[in-house]
Parts: sequence; structure tokens; C-alpha cells
Amino acid sequence: MERAWISGKPTPLDAAIAEAAKLIGASTRILIAGLGTDIAGARAAISLAQRTGATIDHMNSESVLRNLDVMRSSGVMMTTATECHVRADTLLLAGPLRGTARDQLLQNVIGSEQAKNRDRRRIIWLCPGRDLLTFADTVGATPIGRKQEDLPGLLATLRADVAGRPAGKSCVSLKRLRQVSAFLKQSRFGTAVWSSAELDPVVIEMLCGLVGDLNATTRFSGLPLAPEDNAIGVLHVCSWMTGLPMRTSFARGVSQHDPWLFDSSRLVTSGEVDCVVWISAYRSEPPPWRRPPPMIALTAPGTAFVTPAHVHITVGCPGIDHFGVHHFAATGTLAAFAATQPSETISVAEAITRIAAATPEPGGRSC
Amino acid sequence: MLTRISGGHVIDPANQRDGRGDVWIRDDRIIDSPNEEADVTFDAAGKIVMAGAIDVHSHIAGWNVDTARLLLPEYQSAAAPRPSERKGWSALETGHLYATMGFTTVVEPAVAPHYALHAHLELADTPIIDKATLAVLGNDDYLLRLLHDNESEAAFEDYVAWILEMSRSLGIKVVNAGGVAAFKDNVRAFSFDDVVPAFGLSSRRIVKALQRAVSSLGVPHPLHVHCNNLGLAGNFETALTTIAAAEELPLHLAHLQFYGYGKEGDRKFSSAAAQLAEAVNRTANVTVDVGQVMFGPTVTISLDVLRQFNARTQARPKKWLILDGDTNGVGIVPYNYRRSDFYNAVQWAVGLELFLLINDPWRVFFTTDHPNGAPFTSYPEIFALLMSRDLRANWMSELPAEAMAVTTLPSITREYSLHEIAVMTRAAPAKLLGLTDRGHLGPGAVADIAVYDDLTDRVRMFRAAALVFKDGDLVVRDGHVTRYRWGRALAVAPARDRAIDRRMKDYYAERYGLSDEFVKVPVYALSRPEPFVFVPCR
Repeated sequence: MERAWISGKPTPLDAAIAEAAKLIGASTRILIAGLGTDIAGARAAISLAQRTGATIDHMNSESVLRNLDVMRSSGVMMTTATECHVRADTLLLAGPLRGTARDQLLQNVIGSEQAKNRDRRRIIWLCPGRDLLTFADTVGATPIGRKQEDLPGLLATLRADVAGRPAGKSCVSLKRLRQVSAFLKQSRFGTAVWSSAELDPVVIEMLCGLVGDLNATTRFSGLPLAPEDNAIGVLHVCSWMTGLPMRTSFARGVSQHDPWLFDSSRLVTSGEVDCVVWISAYRSEPPPWRRPPPMIALTAPGTAFVTPAHVHITVGCPGIDHFGVHHFAATGTLAAFAATQPSETISVAEAITRIAAATPEPGGRSC
Repeated sequence: MLTRISGGHVIDPANQRDGRGDVWIRDDRIIDSPNEEADVTFDAAGKIVMAGAIDVHSHIAGWNVDTARLLLPEYQSAAAPRPSERKGWSALETGHLYATMGFTTVVEPAVAPHYALHAHLELADTPIIDKATLAVLGNDDYLLRLLHDNESEAAFEDYVAWILEMSRSLGIKVVNAGGVAAFKDNVRAFSFDDVVPAFGLSSRRIVKALQRAVSSLGVPHPLHVHCNNLGLAGNFETALTTIAAAEELPLHLAHLQFYGYGKEGDRKFSSAAAQLAEAVNRTANVTVDVGQVMFGPTVTISLDVLRQFNARTQARPKKWLILDGDTNGVGIVPYNYRRSDFYNAVQWAVGLELFLLINDPWRVFFTTDHPNGAPFTSYPEIFALLMSRDLRANWMSELPAEAMAVTTLPSITREYSLHEIAVMTRAAPAKLLGLTDRGHLGPGAVADIAVYDDLTDRVRMFRAAALVFKDGDLVVRDGHVTRYRWGRALAVAPARDRAIDRRMKDYYAERYGLSDEFVKVPVYALSRPEPFVFVPCR
């Protein structure tokens, strides 16, 4: 099986690595994006970024930053899927849960037999979206409101009612609203569950505010479901290596974080970068851009590119081809996974380490 | 490679050295003076030579610290109006800043077992220094079940030993024993003899069981206790009760300053440091670290979820995070200690009183509970305050007089000597942690050495060591890191009945529907050669 290509032509791995190093050495505004990789891969990528003055972003930064926006501007209460699984007597789902969020809900929060039988857990689902009403019924959730657009108004009135303030009009009757708030207050340990891929930060902030308010008299916490591609793991590596989340640039010698300025899509479409390193080891996910600058792609096998990468190397999947440490949504922690089908396919960490070793030091550049 | 540090004032309390002399290094170890020419000689005339310092309690890594960074991007240098040379608040900076102050071993004391791998990955990226973690037990479901079901001491010890090995920890800490678990059942205040509703267990019972297990397993570091009622007026009584409960076995009380508060005075808040110091002085098997407060903005990171929940309303800036975790949880609350604030000024004084009123420097340890009382970068100022009553008087003159009036600090004349500083930050912590290979300059010790210019300005002296050696490598010169290297983590692995492994596998499957693999810290995951060093149990 071919594993490396230069301009679409199969090539030995060593040649691809040398070509990637040449491209990085010749570029001055590098973007390392995608970042769908394990902890070792993220460490290698961030080290390379620090050395070359590059910018780093993750393909699911948007979801990560929505929760982070709320956290770094207000108070939040959180729990883990494991704790929710064993303790929560009430689940308050908010807004649509699709894709990985839906899988996590089923697997980690309500899906297992133990959880089903454990107690008389009640599930309320605020505005799941019309297309999820059947699914809500399947998981035994009582929908309150339907359309996703109604969620901000519903949350606002619910929060007001819980706090004993006059509640305005929402998509449900005042009687129904009162029932819900009374029910939430009667929970012993409730957990609000949401997917930030679906919700605006303002809505997340209202939900977290509601959770905080409920703790005036009872216990309630929040469970943001994790985005894919080890986004949370990469977030933590960013934190310990740079002190900041993704969408951070090292171009000025210090770490600088700006969710708009260092958004990879903005950087590419505005032509502010001259080289992209795209990483997606968990899925064959191509970058979403039509006309990126010269690109080095480290991706899972079978990735179909919109625009072919200048250098393309197939990498192994952490926990399958090679051991990997990544965020484990079931527990909310970093966990190590041995290879289930060990293979010779190169890991992201090794590929980047080899590219970095072959990249000339930037000493020749003038400031 | 043979290195000689010649003619310095060598202060090595563990080996009764306090005078001019040489220190010799062969490769990574200290040796007796050989009959050979050194390959390299460093002239230390006029300088102070000590072993590398050891910090027994500093929150430097793991989920909690990472999340605190993410909560507070404004604490990064890049967010400052004019970005400085500093690289930000990162693992790299942690190792760098500790090393430049002459610290070579640091204990991260708050790792809930499920978060151990995370902490070790970050510690592996923290350069130069060696480190260790303490695993936090006492609010975890399995332990509370064991006690509730009156399982045997052997079963309890097997569990503690299993946790120590899985999480690669050097010891066990307990945080508000039972209080964090009780908070999940909506309990809002929890003292030493209060009972966790779901288990019918008091804090006392949990602390005593852990203290006995740690001792019986031969773990060198005694149980490390974060008491109940942290930060509350009148809580010195909780600390006194806990000290009395130590009975005949060793016990370490963390950040005692935060328990040094009485209810005297107009504001019903006063220093009770004198009573606490007296209790520590007469209880030889109890050790304490201080958790000194210094003024300025910081962030409190604590596994005492109950306390942090109650403190969230005092957050400055107004944001915070509370995690109800499965083995423990955490609360992160930014805070600004202000000179003009009565309560903060009392807290500052309580810490110094404890340092100065506890007679035995072998039993009082130097910490700020970083970053909870102050960042570890404030250590040089605290050394200076301990060593000069005039400096303390200067500081006190700028603090609220009514605050100083409810403390004994103005009347204390004691000044620490360099020898006492060396005991408190080198010899004693090594003894407390069971690390015979460091904290001293005797033959066979790891060549972790700090050389300071003997300046009257103690702040400048301790801020930037003249020379620092780690494992015999010169890593700092004139306060600047000259060489990066990777340290290792120190851990214990007491013997256990392997039947516990099966029980834990079954427990995780039954309770969470998960394999227990996620609790483990495999060596291969850390991507460093020999990331761990094992410290023998007694």
C-alpha cells in the first residue's frame, strides 16, 4: 500500500519527509491545522509551531471555544460522564445532540444497562429540534419545546422562574414552565447535558447560569459533550505547553491567542499563510478549503482532498495502529490506549519529529 | 566527569556542615574529595552552597492547573499591554523558574487518581526539576464503601497500594475528608466529626484509616492532610482537633496558614497562629507546611470542592469553575490578595507567625500552596521576610494597623538563619518524603546543588542562583537557564495482595461499565527514557 505522495505521485516516505521539511524551511507563515491527533502528535506539532513561529488551530476549535468563552467569562459547574452516570437522578438535555454527541449520550450517559436500571432517572430535553423528537422518545426523554430556535427564550424564562423572578413568554405555557422548574429544583443531583457544536455561547452561558442558580438549594452540574478528534486532549496540551488554547500563534516569539485572528479558515481564505500542515489521524478528513497554499497533509488512509496536498503522508490511528493517549469522553480524562491492530504506519508524532529534524534551523532569516 | 565547587560556604544540615569547603561531583553524584584533579572547577568563594531545594506542596501540573490557565488567559504575559520576555505560564516556564531559584524537586500534591496520567504527561514536559505526585483519596466511592462495609485493614491497604502504583504517586493526600463526597449530597458545611450522609462515615474515621494504611504500607511520606473548614473564621479549632487526632502516628498538615483563624476582634477574624504553633511544637509526630499568602492576583486551585464552591462568590475576576469529579473533583477560583484588605493582611501575618513561632525548622515546611497563597515565584520575598525583622516591620507599616493588632507578628523578633532556611527547604523535605538521595551534600547524594551569591539583598540572592546543578549537569548560571534536560518523577510501589487487581477490574466494570485500564499510567505513554524512579518503602 502506498503511504506517501508528492504532488499526487507515490513516493518513498523518506522523500516525502524531506520534501515536507524543505517546504517548511522555505515558508515564513505556517499554519498547523486540523490537529486531529493524540497527545504525542499534538506535542510534536506544537513544538514545531514554536520553533517555526507558526500558528496552531484544531478542526473543532469552534466547539471548544464556545464552552471556553463561557468558562472564561463567568462561573461554570461541571461534572464527568462517569459521575453523571452513577449519580444523576435528573438529566436536562439542551438543544440538538447529533453525531459524536449523540453517541456519547447513548454510550456514556444513558445507554448502559446499569444506568437504565439504576434508578428512576428522569430526562427532560429542552428544544431537541424537530428531527430529534423520535430519538428523544427512544431514550425516554420528555421534550419541552421543540424547535432549536426556541431554546434561548425557553432557557431565559426557565432561569427566571427557577430564580423566582417573573418569567416572560416562551414556547411553552407558564404552567408547563412552572412544572419544569419545580421538577429541576426537586432533583437531588441533576446534570445539564449539551453539545457546544449546536449551541451559541450565549445559550451555553444561560444554561450554565441556570445550573449555578439551581445550586442555591440543590445539587446540579453540567456535562458538555466532547467534540471529536481529541479536541479536548489537544486543548490541554496547548494549555500546558503554551498557557493558552488553540488558535494561538508563535509568530512574535511569545504565545498569542486570538479566536478570530488565528482561525485557520480565516487565515487560509485571506491568504495570510504560505504553508499549511493539516493533521487528521482519527478520520480521513480533508481540509475544508478550496485553494489552500502549499500543504503538507498527515491523514488517515483514504483521505480525498478537494485540492491535492503538495506532500501527503498516511498516518496511523492512535489506539489502533500504535499506542496513543487521548481524551476519553467516558471519563473526561486523558487515557492511554494500546494498539489494537499494530502496524508499521507512521504516527503523527514520528512524522512531525522526522520532518522537524530535517527542517533547517531558521537562523538564516533576518527579522 | 569530575567537577569541583571550590571554596564556598557549604550549608548542609543533614551532614552537619556549615563552613567553607569544597563539594565534589563525579558524573551525577556527590562524592568525597578525591585525590584527583577536577575536570572542571567552579570558584564559589564568597558564595553559599546548598543542596537543591525541595518543594513539598505546589500545584504545578494536571487537569486542574491546565484548566486554571484556560480560565485565566489574562494571566499570560501575552495578554499584558506590552508582552514581556516571559514565555507565559507553561510547564516549560515552571521548570525554568524553579530551577533558577535553585529548586530541583517539586511535589504536585493534588492528583485525583483518574487524572494521574494527565498530570504525569505534563510533569514529563516540565524540564530540569524532578517531581512527584500525591494521589488524593478519601472522597472516592471505593474507599468509602470499604470503610462503610467494615472491610479488613488489609483490604483497605491493598486498595491504597493499588492506587499508589496505578497513579505512580509518592504518597497519599486527603482533601476535606468526606466533605467533597458529602457536597454531592448537598451538604454545605463539614467538620471533622460530621458524617458523609451516603456512607455514615466521619471525616475522622477516613483520616485515621488512611493515616494507618499509609504508615502500615511503609510509605515514607506520612498522610498529607488538607483539613476541613479551610479559610473559615474560627477554624483553628478544626486544625487543633486534627492535630490531636494524629495520636502516635505521623501526620502532615498542608497549608496550615489557611487554618490559623480565630474569631477575636471587631471583625470576628483574628490570628490563631500562636495556638496552632504551640500545638505543633508539642506534637513531635506532626509536620506542617505553611501556605504563605503574599499580595497580588492569583488563582486558587483546590480539590476541596465544597470550600471552593462556597468561595466562588469572592472570585476576582468574577469567574470560576467547579468540577464534581468521580474520585474527587476540583474548584478553581481566581482571587486577589490585597494589602489594604483587613482579612488578607491577617492571612499574610498568620503564615509568617507560623514560620516564626514553630520552633523546629525540621517540622515546618516552606510553601505558598502555589498558586493558592501566592505564586512560587514569590519565594525569594518570603525568605527575605523570614530572615529580617526590619523588613517585616517595613511591610507591616504599610498594612492595616487593625489587622496587625489581631496577630502576634509585630512582637516576634526571630530571624531565620541561612542554616535554618537550608533545613526547611532541603534537609527536612527530603526526610519528610523519604528521599535519602537528595536534600543533602553527602557522598552518594544526587548532585542537585544550588550556589547563591551571598547578598544582603536576600530577594535578589534567592531569585537568581549563581549556579544550579541537576544530576551533576550545570543547568543555571547567573540566574539564567543554560541547559534544558528532563527530570523524572519519584514514586512508591508498596507490596500488595494482587487479588486487589481483580477486585478493581470488577469494580470499574460494575460501577462504570468500563475497563480499569484508564486509571493506569503506563511508562510507555510518557515518551521519556526512564520517567520514574522508585523510592523504597520502609
